[in-house]
Amino acid sequence: MSADPADRPLLTVRGVHRRFGSGPTAVHALRDVSFDLAAGTMVALIGRSGSGKTTLLNVIGGLDRPDSGTVLVDGADVTALDEDGLSRLRREKVSYVFQTFGLIPVLSAAENVGAPLRLARLPAAERERRVELLLELVGLADHAQQRPGELSGGQQQRVAIARALAASPRLLIADEPTGQLDAETGLSVMALLRGVVESEGVTALVSTHDPTMLALADRVIQINDGRLDEREAS
Amino acid sequence: MLRLLVHRARAQWPLLAALLAVAMVGPTLLGACALLVTRTAEQALEAAASRAAPARVDVTAYTVTVRGPDARSVADDTRRVLTSALAPFAATTAARASSMMRSLPATRAGGDGVPAETYLSGVEDLPTRAALVTGRWPRGAAAGVHPGVPQRSDAVRPAAPLEAVVLEPTARLLGLTLGRRVHLGAELGGDPSRPVDVTVVGVVRPLPGTGWDRDPLAATGYDLAYHDGRSVRPVHAYGPFIVDLATLLAGGSTIDRLEITAHPDLSTPTRRGLDTVAEAVLSADRQLARTLGDRVRIERVASRLPSTLLSARDQQQVTAAAVLTVAVLGIVLTATALALAGRLTAGVRADETALLSALGVSRGQFAAAAVVEAGALAVLAAALAIPASSVLHAGLTHLPPLAEAGLAVHPVVTGVHVLAVAGGALALAAVLVALSVRPTPVADDRRHRRELLARSGADVLLVAFAVIGWWQLRDQPTGSGSSVDAIRMLAPALLLTAGAALALRLVVPALRGVERLARRARGLTLPLAAFEAARRPQAVAAGLLIGLACAAATFGVGFDATWQRSQHDQADLAVGTDLALTLGAPPEAGQGAAVGAATGGTVSPATDRGVAVGQWLGNAGDVPRLIAVDTTRAESLLRGRLNDGRRWTDVGAALAPPTRATGVPVPKGAVLTLTGKATGTGKATDTTPLIVTPRLLLQDATGLRIPCDGAPVRLDGKAHPLPACATVEGLRLVAVSLPFAPDLGNVGFGFSDAWAELPAGAGDSRVAVTLTVPETPAPAPVSAPAPAPESASAPASGSASVGAVPGSPWSVTSVEPAPGQLGNPAVALARTPAGVQLKMTTTVGLKGPPDAARTLVATAFPAAGPVPVAVSSRFADEVSARRGSRLNLTVGLTPVSVRVSEVLPTVPSAPGAAAILADSDALSRALVIGGNLDLPVDAWWVGDPTRADAAVRAAALRLGAVTTRASETARLTGGPLRAGLPAALRLLVPATALLLLAGVVLHVTFDLRSRALEVARLRGLGMTRREVRAVLLGQHVGVLLPLLATGAAVGALATRVVAPLLVRSDTGAAPVPVALPIWPWAAEAGLLALLLAGCTLAVTAVVVVQARRVDVAYLRVAS
Repeated sequence: MSADPADRPLLTVRGVHRRFGSGPTAVHALRDVSFDLAAGTMVALIGRSGSGKTTLLNVIGGLDRPDSGTVLVDGADVTALDEDGLSRLRREKVSYVFQTFGLIPVLSAAENVGAPLRLARLPAAERERRVELLLELVGLADHAQQRPGELSGGQQQRVAIARALAASPRLLIADEPTGQLDAETGLSVMALLRGVVESEGVTALVSTHDPTMLALADRVIQINDGRLDEREAS
Repeated sequence: MLRLLVHRARAQWPLLAALLAVAMVGPTLLGACALLVTRTAEQALEAAASRAAPARVDVTAYTVTVRGPDARSVADDTRRVLTSALAPFAATTAARASSMMRSLPATRAGGDGVPAETYLSGVEDLPTRAALVTGRWPRGAAAGVHPGVPQRSDAVRPAAPLEAVVLEPTARLLGLTLGRRVHLGAELGGDPSRPVDVTVVGVVRPLPGTGWDRDPLAATGYDLAYHDGRSVRPVHAYGPFIVDLATLLAGGSTIDRLEITAHPDLSTPTRRGLDTVAEAVLSADRQLARTLGDRVRIERVASRLPSTLLSARDQQQVTAAAVLTVAVLGIVLTATALALAGRLTAGVRADETALLSALGVSRGQFAAAAVVEAGALAVLAAALAIPASSVLHAGLTHLPPLAEAGLAVHPVVTGVHVLAVAGGALALAAVLVALSVRPTPVADDRRHRRELLARSGADVLLVAFAVIGWWQLRDQPTGSGSSVDAIRMLAPALLLTAGAALALRLVVPALRGVERLARRARGLTLPLAAFEAARRPQAVAAGLLIGLACAAATFGVGFDATWQRSQHDQADLAVGTDLALTLGAPPEAGQGAAVGAATGGTVSPATDRGVAVGQWLGNAGDVPRLIAVDTTRAESLLRGRLNDGRRWTDVGAALAPPTRATGVPVPKGAVLTLTGKATGTGKATDTTPLIVTPRLLLQDATGLRIPCDGAPVRLDGKAHPLPACATVEGLRLVAVSLPFAPDLGNVGFGFSDAWAELPAGAGDSRVAVTLTVPETPAPAPVSAPAPAPESASAPASGSASVGAVPGSPWSVTSVEPAPGQLGNPAVALARTPAGVQLKMTTTVGLKGPPDAARTLVATAFPAAGPVPVAVSSRFADEVSARRGSRLNLTVGLTPVSVRVSEVLPTVPSAPGAAAILADSDALSRALVIGGNLDLPVDAWWVGDPTRADAAVRAAALRLGAVTTRASETARLTGGPLRAGLPAALRLLVPATALLLLAGVVLHVTFDLRSRALEVARLRGLGMTRREVRAVLLGQHVGVLLPLLATGAAVGALATRVVAPLLVRSDTGAAPVPVALPIWPWAAEAGLLALLLAGCTLAVTAVVVVQARRVDVAYLRVAS
């Protein structure tokens, strides 16, 4: 008998292994990683450089496939999805926020935010309303027509967050979202993330070095040499 | 640094290979063009020389009045001069000689008291120039026995008479049969040689086109009114008695004309040899004069060989100029492609350059590295392009039209070819160096503005140069001038580049418009493609190349079509009809039927003569030309482009008389008789006996009118048979000319001295002359009655009796300039048991001025007014004529009044000339009314020949040179000297397509590589691979489409504006008619479809490969 979907964790990672290369020079990026993530929580993933944070996020987001183990996102086995399934997953359930922002340079802030909505073929009026709402949410309503090149790093990351939220994903994966930002901007971006997790009911998995983030996270997962070392947020 | 270059070359070998491939195209094209304008052009010159008609390369020496003892040595020396002038080529010679006139005993000349003369001729290779009707060819005289050589005693005659053959008419008129011995009297010159006897051993018929037109009697065999230049009186001339040439030359007879023609063997000519010959022939005249000295009275060397070679060189240069134009276009395109490749390479190496710069590498070191790399590329490109262009050239020469022109060669490498390739490669290397050493663009507003200004300035400069080029091209002289002109070479490339650069400025706004429309779409694929296309400056980085290549390709196709059309137009106009048979001798009745049967087309006699217009004789060497044909069949006969939508039928209808002259049918072999009676109007004793020398004008089925001259006939009331005029079926008598003269014994025939010898009491004579034509079973009906005579100037239009004999009414008039000397002329037609009788009566005034003509002319058509003519626009300009203008022409010696009814761009067969087109019937009528029955006919024109081998069959008639529109078109489009241009254009189109594809592939590859992260992000957003491919394809094709469209528009504009100006005639002059731009829609659409399909295919391939490589997983690395 299956569990009630409301009680089911949004993300389930079980026994994930990922190795790069082979033989004596092989690098074990992830070793038997398992954990669950409840819906509507903000989780910080921390660890040293090369500890396997990004690999874990890539595997969860379907950017990489584990050598073994399973990843369930909202009940869908990411590791079993084909290309189209992964595209659908990214379109409907999982969003990314990258350290380098990942905006499309030729699109304005509003168009970048609207891109996932266009992919979802939302009617133009509804799309515009949602874009406006999201840009207001990230405090960039006045910069809607500016292109990424015309925005500061913090503003670009805000646009990236707004775009990530546009299609109302269940899981938001952010890989070092404040890595290229100064402390103050980084803090505001993290506060924004915290805010949208609460307001949009999104589950966020954020890798970071920023200690201030730890205070904002509901839970902290530490990873060392590919192994999980979890501790609850204070 | 060198080590870095080597390492980089190893790492970036695909990039360098791409650069090398692009850099090879231009030098290869240049090399092939260099071979076309050097090796092939020289070969073409040689091929043209070897194919030239004998008349264009033969050298003929004419010598006049050679004393008998000198004849042989003069002939030998003349041959030597000619053959040495034609060295190093072997030459064959053919001689023809005619002696001075000798008296012919009266018994042989009909005994009418008129002196008779004859002459000897010698013709080398006689069996190839005449057909033996009966008997055998003459043999040479026995050694030591020479006719005419003064002997020790006049009583001693040669042991054996000379053997001779005669022409059929001579034999008939003199009653000569085989074996008949004829005594020819002494020469009629100042230093006469003695009489000579000949034995007739054969009768021959001259073959047309074998030089008989230069016989003293034009091979007619007789002339009953021959003027020998010693007296104003005409005499009877018969001959020639054709004897062995060597015998004639050795025989002591004074040679009146000696003609030796040397034909060079140009089967394997060399350029140097041709140059030598051209110079030697030009100086051969002086050489001959020095050699012959006073052994001859006049000597002259004539040849079209130098002008033939000169004109071939002109054509060669015209073609070279056009081929070089194509080469320049190819180089500009390659430079553009290479500039794109260089920019893309610089973009790829931007990080490396920045790093090296940060490490302290100076600009000088960068420049040195760029020079080394570009130099190595240039050397490699040249090394590959030399054999490639050689093979390409050889391959091209094995395709039409070069192969058909006999110019196929194996791959060759020449010095000029190597230099051209190396030069092209170096020039392109310079482009790469320039791109490499330019400062790296910095994203800075001021810099951006400066670059924008510079680019705008460059555009403006380019447009200015293009306009200057077009201006120069438009104002180039219309006259000949074949030298390779830098403006002509550069102008098309400038115009196309400027056009493509300007068009590129229009593409971006157009893409922005599309982008605005795409915003409304709901999905992401289409808008994103539109956004990418419109907003990324790099999206149109290959824009100039794509636009220029497309413009060049479409221009190449358009120029080819324009050039081809112009050659067709030129050929149409130059020949004037479908098939022209230019006669070597005056035509004979019935000849047209033979031509018609051979060709299966509409046949008309054609006249092409120089005329005087009032006092105007034209410009130096460029006399006004009169072209006359049967314009009632103009649509079938006349060719050449007319303007304003006019048709030749309309033009012809305005020129032709309203009805045809039907005349009186003359059955074949009919013996016409003339009976006349002159009666004094005063006392019977005052009656002055008169004679008349009738001339009949007969018309055959093709409209050819041939006069038939009768012997002088006494108006003694007896019936006198006229010479056999009715030689073929279907002849009709359309005019009769009766020049009256006093019968004072053996004196003149209508000449003033006869009138001067009239007795003082001579009065007027009433004359009645009846010409009886044995009747045909039934004269042909007349389709429509002829209108009343228009001319009121005729003193008395004939009171024609048309009741008895059906046919057009006859008119009668008295010839200018003193028509008043004939009173009350009248003509009547009646049918009698003896046949149809044409009765002409008039009163001949004997007291008038002796120089006044007393010639009655009866015609089967009315005396019309001015002849309607169409004139060429140049003629109209020269004489300030316009429609309705009246002009006075002098045709031969006869004045003809004409009225301009049409002004045409140009007259068929007289391209660019001041020319007049008339209907031959109308013109003939005017001449006949003026007393001139001789409308010279120079050719047969054939329209719409139905036989495929019409030209061959017409040539087989051996009547003269045959020219067809098709052959002239083939000569102009595919002749050795012309085939280079279509071949070069054939190179241009694939070369541009290749460069276009290469540019597109390079651009898309570099673009996608540089956007790999962006593509991965799109995948990260959830776009499927298919959607990403659609975005990328949409973006690139979206840019390609307007670029190709604007390129095609630029190509079309260049075709319209420049192509006609690039077309030149054989001589380098502006073509006639003016070249019209041709835009071959089907070919251009096909080309554009191919280019679009090729580009789309290339883009698709690159997109698919790159999209596969750049997956979403790329994010995990790149991010």
